[in-house]
Amino acid sequence: MNFIERFAASWREYRKPGYYDRFDYAWTMTIDLDRCTGCSACVTACQAENNVPIVGEEEIAKGRKIQWIRIERYWEGEFPDAKLKFIPMLCQHCDAAPCETVCPVSATYHNQDGLNVQVYNRCIGTRSCAVYCPYEVRYFNYYDHHWDPPLEQQLNPDVSVREKGVMEKCTFCIQRIRQAKDQAKDDGRRRVKDGEVQPACVQTCPSEALVFGDRQDPDSKVSKQMNDPRAYRVLEDLNTSPSVVYLKKVDADAD
Amino acid sequence: MAGNALGLFGDPASALAAAGKLKGAGFERPELISPIPIHGVEEVLGPKKSVIKRFTFFGGLFGALGGFGLAAGTAVLYLHPTGGRPIITFPPFLIITYEMTILCGILATVLGFLISARLPAISERVYEPLAAVDKFAVTVPCNSDEHYTRAEAILREAGAEEIKHIDEGES
Amino acid sequence: MQTDGHKLGFADVNNDVVRSLVVTGRNYYITLGTAIFVMLACFFFPWFYQLFYGIGAAGMNQPTVWGTYLASFIFWIGLSHSGTLLSCVLHITNSEWRKAMYRSAEAMTLFSLMVAAMMVMVHVGRPWFIHWAAPYPNQMEMWPNFRSPLLFDVMAITTYLTGSLIFIYMGSIPDFAAVRDRTTGWRHHLYVLLSLGWRGSDTEWHRLGWAYTFLAVLIIPLAVSVHSIVSWDFAMSIVPGLHQTIFAPYFVVGAIYSGTAGIVTVMYFLRKYMKFEQYITTLHFDNLGRLLLVLSLLWSYINILELFTGWYSGTSTEYEQLKYKLTGYYAPLYWEMILFCAIAPLLLISKRFRTSFVPMLILSIAINIGMYTERFLIISTTLSRQYLPESWRLYVPSLVELSIIVGSVAMFVTLFLLFVKIFPSVSIYEVKETMPTPKAEKGDLEWQATP
Repeated sequence: MNFIERFAASWREYRKPGYYDRFDYAWTMTIDLDRCTGCSACVTACQAENNVPIVGEEEIAKGRKIQWIRIERYWEGEFPDAKLKFIPMLCQHCDAAPCETVCPVSATYHNQDGLNVQVYNRCIGTRSCAVYCPYEVRYFNYYDHHWDPPLEQQLNPDVSVREKGVMEKCTFCIQRIRQAKDQAKDDGRRRVKDGEVQPACVQTCPSEALVFGDRQDPDSKVSKQMNDPRAYRVLEDLNTSPSVVYLKKVDADAD
Repeated sequence: MAGNALGLFGDPASALAAAGKLKGAGFERPELISPIPIHGVEEVLGPKKSVIKRFTFFGGLFGALGGFGLAAGTAVLYLHPTGGRPIITFPPFLIITYEMTILCGILATVLGFLISARLPAISERVYEPLAAVDKFAVTVPCNSDEHYTRAEAILREAGAEEIKHIDEGES
Repeated sequence: MQTDGHKLGFADVNNDVVRSLVVTGRNYYITLGTAIFVMLACFFFPWFYQLFYGIGAAGMNQPTVWGTYLASFIFWIGLSHSGTLLSCVLHITNSEWRKAMYRSAEAMTLFSLMVAAMMVMVHVGRPWFIHWAAPYPNQMEMWPNFRSPLLFDVMAITTYLTGSLIFIYMGSIPDFAAVRDRTTGWRHHLYVLLSLGWRGSDTEWHRLGWAYTFLAVLIIPLAVSVHSIVSWDFAMSIVPGLHQTIFAPYFVVGAIYSGTAGIVTVMYFLRKYMKFEQYITTLHFDNLGRLLLVLSLLWSYINILELFTGWYSGTSTEYEQLKYKLTGYYAPLYWEMILFCAIAPLLLISKRFRTSFVPMLILSIAINIGMYTERFLIISTTLSRQYLPESWRLYVPSLVELSIIVGSVAMFVTLFLLFVKIFPSVSIYEVKETMPTPKAEKGDLEWQATP
């Protein structure tokens, strides 16, 4: 191939929208709201797994809590007929993520697994990603957080502790994905098997409302759940194409 | 007596007329030193061409190519897929190109100005402090005494208020 | 230059400007000292506190992660928008009245840009890594993300700062040369360096004229692009209330508006305290007043348009946003902004108002307070009401933030006070150009009036 043809070929490649299509995996989580009891076990598991700091009562009152996965609660109706609805909200790992384009230093981008990753060491703390994120799932470290002894003993050695002035968010437990991929490579397999990797929240969920897997694999559990007629994505009209799929709660009382 | 003859005038019109006469008498290019830009110099002393516009143009061109090259080159060399966009994204890269065009255009204009106006002055040049206030000076380099006397005569005839001889300096 | 009574001569201009540089009263030192003290106490002290403890010192919270720091940034960038831009436009259109005021207007551009750059440093979480946003080859092989609107900002503001600095400097070279001959000591050495050996020869004037015009032509589109790019920091997001195509012209108009008001304020103080009564006259205030009136009407129009598009979109988020802006927690600030920026400037219709100095000063300050409010509201009303109602939360600036706002004003004043003693704050040669030449006959002015 001569130079011009090579140039034209790479030009086409680089001008292709959605360059991420050819990534190795498309990690997806489905959340069945019919199964979710709102017990917050996932929140706790995430806090333990990812060294998420405990900011304290005062800071939470100021609205600076850090919870990579949170349970959003919505009340419907007035007191006697009041209904509580909740929805676990975590980083949606959007394929067309608004947060990625705005970072001036490329601290957040799409990695080869199709994950929306955050590079803490690169972050300079402009906080623009948090503004651009319509799901409000990016959390900023307003202070340096510390763990009183002996709490520092429970820190996960696989996950870094974030400095003040750095943005952080759900990673789909990238350390576990890495481990599973290494294991697969050691075993001589090309790909990670379905169900082999589970983020802490999925592993903990007592009602198995959360399912995690690769949607590129048509036989995986998530792929099947995604075909459920109840499946929807939050704020789908914004065209962020999230990787978290919710299964609508079917309300028998609803009209 | 080699050196420069310098005549001081009270208004730009007579200074310009004196410069014109000096040029007519066959002197090397006479020079005007004034507190404000004098208009109409080109009609008297011949047209001036400045290279600044070339500097601005090529600076801007360099900036445009460099700006797009910087943005597109970075994107291609270090593949960071963001937000489902292609690797080479035109709208944002054109903004970078635009800014770099102007930046390089400005810097090249400054460079062109300094080179064509022969600034900063490294060697001593003919100067008259009064010409920074309210006098208009005409200066002309003279090779010999005879030259100088002739220049002096022309300047006096043109109505110079004061005529000075300045030894040093090339103009 | 039309003056009342005493007629100015060429030498008087030199004398007046040199006097403004070297004759320094006690009041100047007191003001400078106060400004420096306030800057240190209200800007640097709280900032160092914040650097030490983290951004938590400010009042920002989860949905409203941007706050007054960014509002101040936009405000200062906006204030920078009139000086150099206005000066360039007036230079190209060859307006006489520009000549006495443009130097200080350009200085305003330069210093407000510097303060804006400082606000970025205050705003980001890790300012010690701010250089990562600049494209430079490094051993980590890390480059900035050229797709980011924030990086457009970095490029645009760097270019604008460089351009403004060069523009003000190049216009001052002949003046440095003029004051060089009249000063002694460190000042003389400084001006010898700054004037680059300028003599005022016909070739030098010719080259300067060309270079200056080219720079003016380059800077006008640059200035327009800078605030458009600042607006894209917001408009490129998908936040309801920010994601609007009107934002770029809205910001540019707002910027020129607040910048022109800033010029009026600065002109007033220069005139009063630097004794430039003969140079800065009612003519300038009249012309600037007219410009302010036009800009205020434009600004009001865009504001109405913003409300209209929000209502016309019919989406629940935009509608909620609109309702919140007009009647929500921040509504008093919104109506204050409307009063200061849309209703009060209508007074400028009267010529008597435009040519009275104190009312113009009060109005110009009111406009800038209104414009600061506008920038604050753009951030606070939109970010606190985004898509997911669960995360709606109010944002109230903390003491540290308020103190830094005061400190940034003091920083601007400090820089400006230092400027008036180092730069000739009225352009000597351009003012002379507007005057009849010494010994000149009548009609001589016309002879040299062509560019």
